[in-house]
Amino acid sequence: MFTDIDCEQAIDMNSENTIHRPVLVRHARFRWDDIRKQHQIVYPEGVLVLNESGASIVSRCDGRSTDELIEDLQNEVSNDKLTADVQTFLLRLVEKGLLVDATK
Amino acid sequence: MTPPNSTPHPYSLLAELTYRCPLKCPYCSNPLKLRQYASELDTDTWKRVLAEAAALGVVQVHLSGGEPLVRQDLEQLVAESRQLGLYSHLTTSGVGADEARLERLVRSGLDSIQVSFQDSNQVDNDFLAGLSSFEKKHECISAAQKLDLPVVLNVVLHRSNLAHLEEIIQLAVDLNVEKVELAHVQYTGWAFRNRDALLPSRQQLQEAEQVVQAARERLGNRPELAHVLPDYHQQYPKPCLQGWGQVYLAVAPDGAVLPCQTAREIPELDLPNVKDESLDAIWFHSPVFERFRGTDWMPEPCQSCDRREIDFGGCRCQAFLLTGDAAATDPVCHLSPNHELVELAIAESQQSTAPLRFRTYE
Repeated sequence: MFTDIDCEQAIDMNSENTIHRPVLVRHARFRWDDIRKQHQIVYPEGVLVLNESGASIVSRCDGRSTDELIEDLQNEVSNDKLTADVQTFLLRLVEKGLLVDATK
Repeated sequence: MTPPNSTPHPYSLLAELTYRCPLKCPYCSNPLKLRQYASELDTDTWKRVLAEAAALGVVQVHLSGGEPLVRQDLEQLVAESRQLGLYSHLTTSGVGADEARLERLVRSGLDSIQVSFQDSNQVDNDFLAGLSSFEKKHECISAAQKLDLPVVLNVVLHRSNLAHLEEIIQLAVDLNVEKVELAHVQYTGWAFRNRDALLPSRQQLQEAEQVVQAARERLGNRPELAHVLPDYHQQYPKPCLQGWGQVYLAVAPDGAVLPCQTAREIPELDLPNVKDESLDAIWFHSPVFERFRGTDWMPEPCQSCDRREIDFGGCRCQAFLLTGDAAATDPVCHLSPNHELVELAIAESQQSTAPLRFRTYE
């Protein structure tokens, strides 16, 4: 009945799994909230608040491959563990049911 | 109007479009004296409410009731929500949601749908609903899925359907929904009146937890199983609405604005109405929303408790119903001086043979 408010930070964790072509699921909406000045993913009965790096990643989940996404991000972000961080973040969104792999 | 710095903007609006409903569930969350609230806001006023909600920061609108499908202007309100950038979620019994209607709603911009079931099988479902509706719910879900609309299943749990929990979960699997909410009855309104017939025993609850745990291990996260536990059997109260006047507001069919859908239980609250004031003015400045906002209003043992910003003192409606004082610590908390009221209610209900009293228009 309620709207769950959740926050997602892109943080470091190692994982074996990978996602090759991340796209948002059809019922998830990525939006900018001009009142709170934040990006969000809205889905049935929930809102996921994204920090800046999370929003940079999700805005690129548009059908391109994860490798292309990371390459593009490297122009914007300097982070030694960028590849691992992005993969971890993407997998967390998969776990939440908000992202799918378009190649599957 | 300038908002006070400490008050956050609401994320979620519960738009109770009507209290009319063909079902008669004995745990309905609508008020007891339904006849008092028979007048409903018109389409234009609802459109204004949606616009004011979006401007206030609301992200998601739950179109609910009663049965919202009895409103013939639902398509218009869905379209308005979409235009305002609100994510619209329809809460329905499934009755009246045939394919043509759902198609119109989806075309208007509906984002997702929640369908209630009362039990896992036709006989028990239709008995609890007070209406032959089991087949219609199936039809609704299959029509929604054909339209690619995400479906959440909601099943309210209590003493007489808890034994079917395994079958209820299987129903969600068979229906291939994304999520099922297994929500134990919250004892306000009609459910409070039927408490003796609805309260499960501790043992029933422990068994239910095992069933859910085993199903999660077996099924993974499809469907996602959200198990909302009955607070009468918990050590601490529920963080009601994530705090009074923090993230959520409800507008009732007659335009009353409530910090929680059952706040009509508390007679001391002089509820503001969208017919008299803007949603913005009500959210930030009305005495009703200020009444239990933050922690200053709290009595002991809440005031000095480490958990005061975790559970926010629990449910105000429950505090009132059990103690007569809406500002008391929620008696389900084991630290409440009135906790024995809950223990007593559980003990008495297990001896009771009270029949279920179904929702009626009184």
